Amino acid sequence: MSETTFMGVEREKIDWKPTIDYSKCDYCMECVKFCPHKVFEVNENEEIKLIVRNPSNCVVFCRACSKTCGPDAISFPDKNATTQRIKEIRKEESID
Amino acid sequence: MIESYAILPCNGLDKCAGAISREIAIKLCENAGNEMICPVFYRVAETKYNKIAGEHPLLVIDGCPTRCASKLAAEKSLKISKRITITEEAKSHNIKLSSGLRLQENENTLVELVLYELENAHDNAAVVSIESNTSYHFDYESFQNGKFIFRVPGNPQIYFNENDCWAYVIGNRARIGVTDFVQQNLSDILYFTPPEIGAEIDQFGEVGEIESSKSVFELISPVTGKVISVNKTLEQKPELINENPYESGWVAEIELTDFESDKELLIGFDKYFEIIKKKVEDLNG
Repeated sequence: MSETTFMGVEREKIDWKPTIDYSKCDYCMECVKFCPHKVFEVNENEEIKLIVRNPSNCVVFCRACSKTCGPDAISFPDKNATTQRIKEIRKEESID
Repeated sequence: MIESYAILPCNGLDKCAGAISREIAIKLCENAGNEMICPVFYRVAETKYNKIAGEHPLLVIDGCPTRCASKLAAEKSLKISKRITITEEAKSHNIKLSSGLRLQENENTLVELVLYELENAHDNAAVVSIESNTSYHFDYESFQNGKFIFRVPGNPQIYFNENDCWAYVIGNRARIGVTDFVQQNLSDILYFTPPEIGAEIDQFGEVGEIESSKSVFELISPVTGKVISVNKTLEQKPELINENPYESGWVAEIELTDFESDKELLIGFDKYFEIIKKKVEDLNG
């Protein structure tokens, strides 16, 4: 089960999720084994066997799955831009 | 000069970085009183290698971030004294590795650089850790879920982020660490990777890693600033984080550079206590 808000901001409004570079991914599935939040999904019978199924389950600012990736195929958005955006949303929505 | 290590390297036959791990391990064993642990043979004949691992500090050489060698160490409940990861070493030396298993010029250069650094590790402590003399005082509130007790300090100087890290702020300094939620989830912590002293860290930037046989946790800094000291004791006794993640298990001290701005995305005891309770409930269904 994942949080529905982060710092009072609805999780869906925060762009923070892993992106898979399929030119590097070797489908070792270490990221799937690692992530307890079910962000990834394995589709063994599809051509693309691994997808980001539940981006909003991803813990904001967590990049730990990318550390388990041997071929360095996982990237995340810019942290400072995300921090700034969260502050802006909080201001727009007057969240204390 | 390096200590006499038990060396557990990556197997070396899947990627170039593995082949480099293997080469470094062989050279270390040729040059000093180090002992090799073969990761393949270890799986079927552990008595011999448990003895070696019991007699020497353990150096783990991982090839890539999959960290097969570290995982094997965790599986065998071995305490890692030092660890290097070849792909990270290659990045820090700006060396591009080939895709083959035979070592070429770039790979051989990296082997020599890593060996040199390992052999001179004790001479490289140029940056000094300046730990504050401040005494930190904690007033805890706690709750229980099953057999697990979760404590959260309620002092007003302590701030939390929603990534389960805390900062105890006094003046322009903060001592930081992880909360009980992290240590209870990870279970027995086997390895601590400290941040570099002198590193400039942004709020929500990585400020070290802790690792158990279950998982790896990347510490996400609650504050912006410069790392001025780290809890060196954790490198030999990472289990202190399990014993008390707020006191003996603190992680680092940061000289704050933008705390007024950081505070916008930090929470106090009341909110964090609610969040940790909800996280524990969600985890246990």
